[in-house]
Amino acid sequence: MPMILMEELAGNWDRLVVKDAPAAAIYDNPVFHQQSTVGSFSVRGWYTELRRIGAAAREMLLTAAATDWGVPVRECSASNSIITHTPSGRSRSFGSVAAQAAELPIPQQPELKSNADFRLIGTSPKRVDLAGKVDGSARYGIDIALPNMLYAAIKRCPTLSGRLKSMDDTAARRMPGFHTTVPLPDGVMVVARSYWHARKALAQVRTEYELGKLAGVDSPKISQIMREAFNGPSAVARSEGDAPAALAASTHTMEAVYEVPYLAHACMEPMNCTVRIDDTGCDVWCGTQAPQGAQHAAAAVLGIPAARVRIHTTFLGGGFGRRGEADFVTQAAAAAKAAGRPVKLIWTREEDIQHDFYRPAAAIRFRAGFDRDGKIAAFESNVVTSSTPTRMAAGPSFYTSGIADSNYADAIPNFRVTGVDANIGVRFGFWRSVNDSHNPFMLEGFIDEIARHLKRDPYQLRRSLLQHPSGRRQLAVLDLAAEKAGWHAPRPGHSLGIAALAAFGSYIGTVADISMKGSQITLHRVVTAVDCGVAVEPDNIQAQLEGGMVYGLTAALRGEITIANGAVQQSNFTDYRVMTMAEMPLFESYIVPSTAPPGGIGEPGTAPIAPALANAIYAATGKRVRSLPLSRHGLTFSVERASA
Amino acid sequence: MIKLNVNGEAHSVDVDADMPLLWVIRDELHLSGTKFGCGIGACGACTVLVDGQLRRSCMLPVGAAAGTAITTIEGISTDRSHPVQQAWVAESVPQCGYCQSGMILAAISLLRQNPHPTDADIDTAMTNLCRCGTYNRVRKAIHRAAGSSTA
Ligand code: FES
Ligand code: FES
Repeated sequence: MPMILMEELAGNWDRLVVKDAPAAAIYDNPVFHQQSTVGSFSVRGWYTELRRIGAAAREMLLTAAATDWGVPVRECSASNSIITHTPSGRSRSFGSVAAQAAELPIPQQPELKSNADFRLIGTSPKRVDLAGKVDGSARYGIDIALPNMLYAAIKRCPTLSGRLKSMDDTAARRMPGFHTTVPLPDGVMVVARSYWHARKALAQVRTEYELGKLAGVDSPKISQIMREAFNGPSAVARSEGDAPAALAASTHTMEAVYEVPYLAHACMEPMNCTVRIDDTGCDVWCGTQAPQGAQHAAAAVLGIPAARVRIHTTFLGGGFGRRGEADFVTQAAAAAKAAGRPVKLIWTREEDIQHDFYRPAAAIRFRAGFDRDGKIAAFESNVVTSSTPTRMAAGPSFYTSGIADSNYADAIPNFRVTGVDANIGVRFGFWRSVNDSHNPFMLEGFIDEIARHLKRDPYQLRRSLLQHPSGRRQLAVLDLAAEKAGWHAPRPGHSLGIAALAAFGSYIGTVADISMKGSQITLHRVVTAVDCGVAVEPDNIQAQLEGGMVYGLTAALRGEITIANGAVQQSNFTDYRVMTMAEMPLFESYIVPSTAPPGGIGEPGTAPIAPALANAIYAATGKRVRSLPLSRHGLTFSVERASA
Repeated sequence: MIKLNVNGEAHSVDVDADMPLLWVIRDELHLSGTKFGCGIGACGACTVLVDGQLRRSCMLPVGAAAGTAITTIEGISTDRSHPVQQAWVAESVPQCGYCQSGMILAAISLLRQNPHPTDADIDTAMTNLCRCGTYNRVRKAIHRAAGSSTA
């Protein structure tokens, strides 16, 4: 984002200083009017605004310099934080006129550069955050240390709907370093002299819980609830033509049900927050994707206006949507209030896995009907999930995204998408790529099934569904991924699977290149093509695509949160196993040159790997994978390593 | 009082002998570059060198580390000049960065034992977890550092 501003400002990159913003409306994302780092919205939301700010500042600086020199502004230019008067060759620094420039009226219509004149955008300049991330000095929320600070440890009822009935902290009170016990509606915290003391004392607290409505609920039951919902009432997200009638009139039809489980975020840095209360209000330190949410959470606990809560945003050890929540802020504020001293709350990994806002389980029933020529005449999708966007009041039908707004729709005369917001009761939330973490897996899988059913090449069938203006950019990434992966000439013994989609304002196509021996998958490489509009920082785009792919592949391989008696059965990296170095495939990414406004890049990369891999498995084995993770299908995984 | 030598400096800490070294380093010595990720030895975020050996400090009671020479991320150079750090910057490895202290120490340990590791060697040795998926860049940076320290 600083690149966008610096581009128009013509500033010197080497002198850039980046500071974290406090919570304030002025930093609200121009697109969705909240100060949140979510939805892959930062660059695409701020692109024009940051350019305008940079350009306006440059014009003010130029005007100030020109006035001082007594020359026309148009004879002056700026580059690298230096203003030059071209005819005379005189020059001076931005700093020398900054004070005068600041007095000038802010230009409302500053002139923006044309894309061809970009010098910074489209390059990968030196990153300002790297130094602290290789020498240990970068400060994350968990690193905050204040004078007089105490530490809190937390344990909540394993059953997600649990309520604290009673607790006995007699033994805990006798532990060294003990300070305070803080009961919560659904758990208990112990505040102590050190985090280790807090952990040990917490282990001595005895609790009794009312299990609540999730008692007895388990994963098979949840799956059953979702599948039964297919036959209940649903909301219409999109309806073109008359799909039910067209299905009935079709010469032949297909139906398939796809399903995925809950997933945890498992950010590397466990949830934590530090709160200090004083007479003027309170200070909150945490890595957060939503400073205003954190601000309101603390204010609510303390009963003070939000404006009196000062948010200090730190680096965060992974967000992925989890740090858009503020439960840990609420708890830390309660701990600081009870202790009467600054408190740093740190969750264990076990609490993090067991008390997440999970990527919701989801299921889709697809139906397709074909006419005599083998064309898709009707297409129906019924999406059952728990809708995070609805929970966040961001629009009820958004959970069908990736299906209802699919670019294939324009090629299908009767197209109907319905949705059911299943009220299951397991906490759920935004998880990197949100609905696109499941909907494309399902849609691209079913499209592949259709291709096989029609005896058509899956890549060519997709091409035929994208031959209209709205399909143009998706078609381009599909083509590029297929070309780079050698779709038409796979290596002997290799099988390819393809998927392409539009998400977060970008377009992405991926090919998985595998071979199989029995149930053993060997992933040889992953080839991805993306069109994310103007590629602001290509090296970061590559990193985000690769990281997104790892997040999606981890989920596809064995990502699964299962529920028993309303409690999460996984607890740490031993039973919620994330991908390792040894499992990391070769990854190639290609960026389609574009002058379109930037699309999102943090999330699209997570979406296509699961369907590409599942489609490759079908190509290799004839076995269709309609649910994740792959480990549930008895499939094991390895990658190809070029011998060094 | 437990005597520790961390990054060449002698410290005495007044803590229980069963307190994991991780929390002593972080909360008593205020060296926050060593991170907490799992607490059970499964992620490597807390990696340090103890007498030159790779150790996951969340699993090492401080009592067992008394009298040893401990190196944390803060101790590998004062100015980010260690070849592994330089390779990390050159390859732009970190994303969120949280796992990277541990990754860097694991890489240093690997290169000491095996100055020219193959990809397979890297797969075996680098068991640290990274949720941001920086593995391929970690691999490249290790190869780069191996190249730069050839002589
Ligand atoms: S915190 Fe020590 S290995 Fe994860
Ligand atoms: S860089 Fe974020 S966990 Fe590795």
